[in-house]
Amino acid sequence: MRVGIVGVGFMGTTHAAGWVATPAQLVGCVAETEAEARPLAEQYRMRVYPDLASLLPDVDVVDICTPTHLHAVQILQAAAAGKAIICEKPLTRTVAEGRQVVATCREAGVPLLVAHVVRFFPEYALAQQLVAGGEIGRPGVIRLSRGSYRPKKPVGNWFLDEARSGGILLDMMIHDYDYARWLAGDVESVYAKKISAGHPEATVDYGLAILKHQSGALSHIAGAWAYPPPTFRTRFEIAGDRGLLEFDSDDTAPIRTLIRKTGGGDAPDVGLPSSPVSESPYTTQIKEFYRTLTEGTPCRVSAEDGLAAVQIAEAALESARTGQAVPVSAL
Amino acid sequence: MRIGILSFAHHHAEAYIQALRALPDVTLLGVADEDAARGRSFAEAYNAPFYPSYADLVAAKPDGVIICTENAHHRPLVELAADHGVHVLCEKPLATTVADAQAAVGACQRAGVLLMTAFPMRFSPPLLEIRARLLAGDFGPVYCFNATNQGELPTKHRAWFVDPVLAGGGALMDHTVHLVDIMRWFLGDEVAEVYAQSNRIFHADEVQVETGGLELLTFRNGVFATIDCSWCRPPYWPTWGGLTFEMVTERGAVVVDAFKQNVTVYSHRLQRPTWAFWGSDMNQALVAEFVAAIREQRAPAVTGEDGLRAVEVTLAAYESARCGQPVAL
Repeated sequence: MRVGIVGVGFMGTTHAAGWVATPAQLVGCVAETEAEARPLAEQYRMRVYPDLASLLPDVDVVDICTPTHLHAVQILQAAAAGKAIICEKPLTRTVAEGRQVVATCREAGVPLLVAHVVRFFPEYALAQQLVAGGEIGRPGVIRLSRGSYRPKKPVGNWFLDEARSGGILLDMMIHDYDYARWLAGDVESVYAKKISAGHPEATVDYGLAILKHQSGALSHIAGAWAYPPPTFRTRFEIAGDRGLLEFDSDDTAPIRTLIRKTGGGDAPDVGLPSSPVSESPYTTQIKEFYRTLTEGTPCRVSAEDGLAAVQIAEAALESARTGQAVPVSAL
Repeated sequence: MRIGILSFAHHHAEAYIQALRALPDVTLLGVADEDAARGRSFAEAYNAPFYPSYADLVAAKPDGVIICTENAHHRPLVELAADHGVHVLCEKPLATTVADAQAAVGACQRAGVLLMTAFPMRFSPPLLEIRARLLAGDFGPVYCFNATNQGELPTKHRAWFVDPVLAGGGALMDHTVHLVDIMRWFLGDEVAEVYAQSNRIFHADEVQVETGGLELLTFRNGVFATIDCSWCRPPYWPTWGGLTFEMVTERGAVVVDAFKQNVTVYSHRLQRPTWAFWGSDMNQALVAEFVAAIREQRAPAVTGEDGLRAVEVTLAAYESARCGQPVAL
């Protein structure tokens, strides 16, 4: 199986490291400019292609790791060439695009796998297994939080451009919309607010969304681009009628370093919590994608799941704009 | 200074007796309870005079009373005390309807007596510290809160806590008011709009009221805040529940767990981890403020109006949960 990577930022680089752990062959990569693609290409002995069109004839799988607003057109291009597609989350920037790419891939008979990597993080995968196994009974109120600092890129920071990334309510919080759906099923309505809607000048952003599931469960989703670097904190709390699951990345760190910086005087170091595991969740994800594509084994996240998460995000964006709760229709 | 206790329907009455007894120059005039057996038994336990009716106790001319009836029965006792020129500290929520809360506030205003709502979080040293730092400008302007006031099913204390009429509702009625009051106190602003969703998944077989709830409030100045008011804590959780919030500001976020001053206890006796609280006694400070306000003839730090505002927000939350859209105040 020959794989080509489109987009060589953090996610393209991370996926490349995952592919190396499979028997697949990393053939080439594409970036906005050939110069940007060269370091990753050299690291994995890939060829640099000038564009997606020139990459397509040489690969079986296209792994799309570009900014969100480019996903739809690249998926359609790869589908037209009959290639299997892996796409970084969010599947697309809009629901209309999402519907189109899912329908097109289905008609073309090409697999479309969405990289909702949270489903592959061991703590999240374990909690889902416990819920699915009935350990805490029927979920009643689910709280999911994900917080970090504002994405920093020197130029062209597409993350901060709502037209391209969807902002915090889409780009950051989509992880947890998808996870909430995985736990409690389809969503019926969404009400959401975010700082940047009322304060475009703010240097932080924070989104809050309340999802009502068809099952009657409620989910509270919080996303932060507000903390000092290098903070990255995730939390979940899943309350059921027969038990409760709690997780806080701050409280489950097996290592806390309280080491003075050598030569750094007495300035306190920042203790970074870390949870080393034997395999990166990104690699677990790519391996599962590989088995799905080569052996047809089931994948824990479908193209329709990816679309449903975009649908929740679009409802959240509309709610933050209009101040009303927004119904989510069946796909 | 003589203070009376009206009813033991709310278990806080016991804490208030102990708080009164710890104060210098304060006498527990007596206790009254419409449930005579309950009243006599507590009177005996605390060695306090028992009055056969609320009217009898109020007629004995206390300086103030602490009202600990069921939520729905606060109003007539507030009015009784006000009519006799007696100052009032009333358990939260002030009432189960806006009309009752307004009547309670109005009666005390007309009678010229103090009305204080029992919001003990106003006396939480961690919250006092955060508010002081907020007002000093340490954190920058506030944008939003992500807050929880979750608990176990409160029937462990009293059965009426889940009675739709006596309590006025379930989790929304029980756990909305504290955080609304804290945020109003921090922001010096009023809630303009409320969105709420509720469900009855926890303890569905045991109670008829809502046990799960999420709310999103918007203040007039644009600050928004979620409150998780759910009774989602299982009875074997390390403590009764808690009150937490993340306050997001221009300079980052302040993460608060107001009751995180505990020793974790693992014992043969309990056979599960529990948290023993060593933080300060907020009920003591609350009662001390009531007594000081009477003595100094000034408004208490938290008033009847504060109680009324919190009731208004709670009732709007119920309306929103019914109609599925935000409700303006």
